[in-house]
Amino acid sequence: MLEFEESIGKIWNHVLTKKTNTAYEDKRVFFEDKSKVLNIFYRLLGGENGKELHVTDKRFIDTSRTLLQKISGSGKIFFLAWQDETGVYLPSSLAYFDSHEQNSMMYIWLVAMATRFDRYRGNLVEKNFHASSELLNRYPGFIAFYKKAVDQLIEKNEKLSFVKSLDGENLTDEDYLEHLDLYPFPLWLYPPLSSKKKYSEFDDKDEPVRGNNQTEKIDTLKMKKQASQIDDKKQTDGLLAFLPDALMSIMEQVNVDRSEDDSFDEDALYNAEDLDEITLGQKKANLNARLKMDLDISSNSKEEYPIGKGYFIDEWDYSKDKYLKHYVCIKPLITTNIEPVAFPLHLKKIYKKIQAELDLMQLDRIKNTNLPYGDELNLDTWIEYKGHQNKSGHHQKFYTNFERKMRDMSTLILADISLSTEAAITQEIRVIDAIKDSLMVFSESLEYLEDRFAIYAFSSLKNTNVRFHIIKNFKEKYSDYVRGKIDNIKPGYYTRLGAAIRESSKILNKQQSLNKLLLIISDGKPNDVDRYDGRYGIEDTKKAILEAKKLGLVPFCITIDIEAKDYLSYLFGKNGYVVVRDSKKLPKILPEIYMSLTK
Amino acid sequence: MSKIYYKEHANEVELFEAAASMHLPILIKGPTGCGKTRFIEAMGEKLGRKVYTVVCHDDLSAADLVGRHLIDEGGTFWQDGPLTKAVRDGGICYLDEIIEARKDTTVVLHSLADYRRVLPIDRTGELIEAHPDFMLVVSYNPGYQNVLKGMKPSTKQRFISLSFTYPNADIEKEIIIKESGVNADIAQKLVEIAGEIRKLNDNEIEEAVSTRLLVYAAKLIVKGFDEYEACMHSIVESLSDDDEVIEVLKKLIDLHFHSKS
Ligand SMILES: Nc1ncnc2c1ncn2[C@@H]1O[C@H](COP(=O)(O)OP(=O)(O)O)[C@@H](O)[C@H]1O
Ligand SMILES: [Mg+2]
Repeated sequence: MLEFEESIGKIWNHVLTKKTNTAYEDKRVFFEDKSKVLNIFYRLLGGENGKELHVTDKRFIDTSRTLLQKISGSGKIFFLAWQDETGVYLPSSLAYFDSHEQNSMMYIWLVAMATRFDRYRGNLVEKNFHASSELLNRYPGFIAFYKKAVDQLIEKNEKLSFVKSLDGENLTDEDYLEHLDLYPFPLWLYPPLSSKKKYSEFDDKDEPVRGNNQTEKIDTLKMKKQASQIDDKKQTDGLLAFLPDALMSIMEQVNVDRSEDDSFDEDALYNAEDLDEITLGQKKANLNARLKMDLDISSNSKEEYPIGKGYFIDEWDYSKDKYLKHYVCIKPLITTNIEPVAFPLHLKKIYKKIQAELDLMQLDRIKNTNLPYGDELNLDTWIEYKGHQNKSGHHQKFYTNFERKMRDMSTLILADISLSTEAAITQEIRVIDAIKDSLMVFSESLEYLEDRFAIYAFSSLKNTNVRFHIIKNFKEKYSDYVRGKIDNIKPGYYTRLGAAIRESSKILNKQQSLNKLLLIISDGKPNDVDRYDGRYGIEDTKKAILEAKKLGLVPFCITIDIEAKDYLSYLFGKNGYVVVRDSKKLPKILPEIYMSLTK
Repeated sequence: MSKIYYKEHANEVELFEAAASMHLPILIKGPTGCGKTRFIEAMGEKLGRKVYTVVCHDDLSAADLVGRHLIDEGGTFWQDGPLTKAVRDGGICYLDEIIEARKDTTVVLHSLADYRRVLPIDRTGELIEAHPDFMLVVSYNPGYQNVLKGMKPSTKQRFISLSFTYPNADIEKEIIIKESGVNADIAQKLVEIAGEIRKLNDNEIEEAVSTRLLVYAAKLIVKGFDEYEACMHSIVESLSDDDEVIEVLKKLIDLHFHSKS
């Protein structure tokens, strides 16, 4: 008797853990480790340019109708893949399967699904069904994975077996309704998480409302109000990335659940040093808070003088496919009371190397042959002389000489000094330090090459205030004061990259040189507090780059960043940028750019 | 008499013949391995003209094209370069990757490319009038060239331009089958893979996968190599050195030709 009970207990336990514990922890695969590969894959399989892969936040789905889950009390939170017009969102890690390989493959599967999903019409089930079928047809390599995955997932939760019984010919709304109340199938894509509007748009028709127990069914899949507000992953990204480090540290996890706490007080942010987690949530809740921050962290304004009231330029709105006329206000600024600064000691070695590279390339050396005297004897001309019929009429010009040549080049350097450049590259240096170092080193090198150059730095606070700092214009002579201005640069605000590029192009285009190089130094991410973020910012920047190219300028971006972002090549073209993680690499870059430009 | 196999993309054969009959030079732009060389060889055969091919590079001098004095036991003598040979005797002079050549090398082409059709040889004092069958063809790959390095418009304007891209899927499939003897299913797969990789004309991949690489892959498969392995050695490894890119490409090949292993 006792034995029997015991074994029942064992079996029950076994059933419970088997069915509810869905993770193979030691086989877990992380998005972070795969993000580059997955991003490339996404584009390879036909994903949209300009869309990026991100990690999704959790969503809540009420699955309590499943008895087993009720007993074990788990399974309410899901990390499901989804996409919207700006990005694809994937779970931050996967551990459904008992091998790393299978779990990695699931990422690839989800990315592949994202490239097909919207090619089909219909409800969620139909779209997923057709996308899956297409993938399995086109890529036999998915078949083994898919079979195994489906079997294993069903083994854990037999309710998922509906997936096996789906039949493309006979997908009905009933199918859809029937499956809505089940566990979400992890190999499928689900409706966007962050906005309810998108969710309702997702359903092509209003079919979920039909049927007997309609309300129940809608409730089941619809994210709960609470969830949708916490899951404001994108907002969190957008804002947090641009807070200064100091604030970042006390504001790690930013999440205000306004549905639970409507009395959120922005001031709390500043009284909150004792909190590990402070929560901000949806954008609106923070406008005031952010403005306060802007005041607190504004750059040292004592020495900055605006020149004029500023003037307006256009911006590209990709969603409308047209320019917003006179939409952005550029405000030129100069800084006075600058102390002269000598070339920094710690860069001397790097500069020496650049100089050596430049010398080696002999950019400015041109060969003159057929000279009566010179550096080297030219064998060809001598042989020619020997072979010539009429030696008396032939000049005895056997020598070759090397002459210094003036390169006809103007370079405008545009530096991003937004707050995001406060980010640390290593323990000691931040992006902004690397940017300043490159400005120092580049100026010195350009001066050495006797090229004409100008330096501008920018940050922005919405379309009404693009702060355009004049560090050195083309007319000003390079001096200790220019270095002083570089040294004095402080990060502030955001990155309206497109506007800054347009302004720079305008200036550079007025130069008379044959070759005009627009060198952008940035952490590469266009963004601002308003809608200038994500796709909007990227498309505007791309447009600005195209405009520059049309003017005959050569834009080139040096990106100082921890990791290369995929949109960089979309923005600047495959030969139009370079990613630097380490300022020690700079010595190679400038000479390389010059090499390719002046050949 | 083996006919050179060339599958026409559009109406380039007709255009080439027209240019030939009008004594106009031709400029072909297009990425590597898309069939430019094959096209010219086929046209040479069709028109019964010898093809002189010169692959241009940085160090190519005017003498390499025109000719130079050489020394032997009897003293010095003049040797025609490939350009001069084509100009004298008639034939197609094909300068591949013209952009790689320095400007001072290509100035000799100007008087040949315009209405004068003459080649002055400074070193011998000769002025050669081009044979009626002489034809100048130059090509370049716009892909990995810098804007500033592009051609002078005044030079460009003397040419009839043909713009090549990789052939469309059906044509490319046929080329692969004809060139390698591989079966249609595999050719189809290779074309699909190429189509996908060509979406990546980005930073990671130095060059897009060319028809040439696909033909190589197909030939390896015909030789008995496993499809996956054949693609690895012909396509994947040659396109990138970046580990992550290779990983992605491997995966892609694996998805198409599910490896048995
Ligand atoms: N239109 C075509 N017809 C026949 N073969 C082709 C064609 N296009 C490409 N190929 C194949 O691709 C290979 C590379 O073409 P090639 O002419 O050498 O390229 P390119 O000169 O443009 O670099 C050829 O050897 C041939 O096998
Ligand atoms: Mg920034």
